[in-house]
Amino acid sequence: MKRREVIKQMFVMAGGLLIASSCDFSGKKASIALQNIDFSADDEELLGHLVNVIIPEGDSPGGKSLNLHLFVMKMLDDCASPEQQEAFLVGLKKCHKESSNDDAKLLAYLKGLPEDDQFATMLKARTLQGYLNSEYVMTNKLIYELVPGRYDGAVKINA
Amino acid sequence: MANLNIDSVKDRSYDAIVIGSGISGGWSAKELCEKGLKTLVLERGRDVKHIKDYPTTNMNPWEFEHRNEMTFADKQENPIVSRCYAFHEDAAHFFVKDKEHPYVQDKPFDWIRGYQVGGKSLLWARQTQRWSDFDFEGPQRDGFAVDWPIRYQDLKPWYDYVERFAGIAGDKDGLPELPDGEFLPGYPLNVVEKYFKQSVEKKYPERKVISARCAHISKPQPIHIEQGRTQCQNRTLCQRGCPFGGYFSSNASTLPWAAKTGNMTLRPDAVVHSILYDKDKGKAIGVRVIDRNSKEEIDFYAKVIFVNAAAINTNLILLNSKSERFPNGLGNDSGTLGKYVAFHNYSARIYAEYEGLSDFTTAGRNPAGGGYIPRFRNLHKQETDYLRGYAAGFGAWRSKNSDRSGWGEELKNSLLNPEWGNWGVGSHMMGETIPKEASYVALDKSQQDDWGIPLLHISVDYDDNDAKMKKDYLDTMEEMFTEAGFTNIRRDENSQAPGLDIHEMGGARMGHDPKTSVLNKWNQMHDVPNVFVTDGAAMTSTSTQNPSLTYMAFSARSVDYAVNELKKGNL
Repeated sequence: MKRREVIKQMFVMAGGLLIASSCDFSGKKASIALQNIDFSADDEELLGHLVNVIIPEGDSPGGKSLNLHLFVMKMLDDCASPEQQEAFLVGLKKCHKESSNDDAKLLAYLKGLPEDDQFATMLKARTLQGYLNSEYVMTNKLIYELVPGRYDGAVKINA
Repeated sequence: MANLNIDSVKDRSYDAIVIGSGISGGWSAKELCEKGLKTLVLERGRDVKHIKDYPTTNMNPWEFEHRNEMTFADKQENPIVSRCYAFHEDAAHFFVKDKEHPYVQDKPFDWIRGYQVGGKSLLWARQTQRWSDFDFEGPQRDGFAVDWPIRYQDLKPWYDYVERFAGIAGDKDGLPELPDGEFLPGYPLNVVEKYFKQSVEKKYPERKVISARCAHISKPQPIHIEQGRTQCQNRTLCQRGCPFGGYFSSNASTLPWAAKTGNMTLRPDAVVHSILYDKDKGKAIGVRVIDRNSKEEIDFYAKVIFVNAAAINTNLILLNSKSERFPNGLGNDSGTLGKYVAFHNYSARIYAEYEGLSDFTTAGRNPAGGGYIPRFRNLHKQETDYLRGYAAGFGAWRSKNSDRSGWGEELKNSLLNPEWGNWGVGSHMMGETIPKEASYVALDKSQQDDWGIPLLHISVDYDDNDAKMKKDYLDTMEEMFTEAGFTNIRRDENSQAPGLDIHEMGGARMGHDPKTSVLNKWNQMHDVPNVFVTDGAAMTSTSTQNPSLTYMAFSARSVDYAVNELKKGNL
């Protein structure tokens, strides 16, 4: 029981920190309802640019049109620890300051971050998870079979 | 009023009661109902109807809110069940959450449970390897536990019987240590699994790599069609429940079959408190149930009772069935009830890569999971510094990878055009553990669960024998991997607690002697002739094989015996 209370408190503390560190220039909230993180509309807009920088629009849809920014927000909110959430928001805040919503600047900024940067690592991992598991990719590019109906243990690869 | 009471007792009286609706309870129910007994099946969890109650079964990956990941809060709330490989968004609703039924871990033990109609038969890994006399003779030959009161020939016709109905895919391999059965066509080994088989069998002729036998309908027979089941479609999404009935579960197979006889009354949400014993009659007369939701107490009565609550809960019910005659638990004159609990040692894995056969891959998915290496250690005689041995799974897979280091267009291109990597190969150990008196479950003296039933202490641990066996498994597999030319070999010694194998066994073991065992050779209580235990609790030793098939055979065999005895007026 004690441990559970400690965890609960961690949530409360982290929640407090998160609200404080979240950028909220306009006072507008994000477009999706979340449980733990108070993302602002500005955060959402920046994340929309970031997922598009990671997976750009082109012949096929990019991060923003696949709503990967909303997916990143959702996963951060539900599946990350309070410490990870805090680290992500700290990273997002820095990103707001240093590169605004200019895609070229954002790409340079991401590339310039150290390899073990927590914010970039989480952002990229969740973006890629959302992309590769998107309906678009799984039905048009890397086809997922719900009902294979077969198993062949020796298929020759046509090189 | 008196008449009303008599009527009420009559309404609550059956020929037979089955406690539990999982893999063994489903079989007990089917057999009892087919033999014409009015049978009450008690299930502590909610009802789960075949197909109708498989909410995730046809969902695509992108339709899961968290793409099949559990949330941080779920993991925090459920450290135990979160360690189970199948506890994900698609099947979490079939697992008991940690706080729903707490227990006391005197030593770390991951107790993984499925409280619903069908129990864990919805979730099992569907591996169905028979036992042989190398297993049944183990305790006697090696001097541990007590001698099994049966041998392979006692069980063989019942293995045949349950296999034909359940649908078991497998090859006839002709191995005395893993007897052949009534098989549907086996699933093929893939090219690298076959290559490993050849490599192993050439160098070590006594070691075999075969296709794992599994409870999947590879080719439906009339008996399967009659159950409303059809061919396995190789989805390998079994833990969600199968809309084709492609794998065996109580929900798809035995329970609907039992229901069709008109003899089954299925009562979900019925938590069994205890078995009622009548001293004057010298037998059990019924079962006390606490309604899961209303907490109302209700007694049901029957001539014969089958306990199939899953190994540890069967122990809990028997230990909690106290009476003047049995102050330490029903049928516990021997004092062994709750003791000699054992499990399978699954605490080691090994992985590697194979650079050969690079122009081959696989298509579709293999429900059998790949290869199976039957126990070869200490098979014919004792040859190592530890007792018994291990079986092992072996699988090979080919996947495409992409470079994820870049950003932007380059990254997107790389993700959408993955390239073939090397074959991956892996194996996991399935070690026999030795049942010991010191490995036990026991009732807590003061703490109770939400239904007024004492919390259970579990005190089970690995021992020195397990440690030696684990080292041998890893060394031996590494040697065979090296021999086969596999590279980048990685030993995973990341021990898991007992229990996570989900093969907990024993506590109400079978034996010849009422002084040292709880059940006789018919799974019948030595001390209470109309109570039968045919789930994992009955196991005298564990062998290495996945045990569910043996529970099915025990259930069918035991019901046959019980009904004959009932007809003769002996129960």
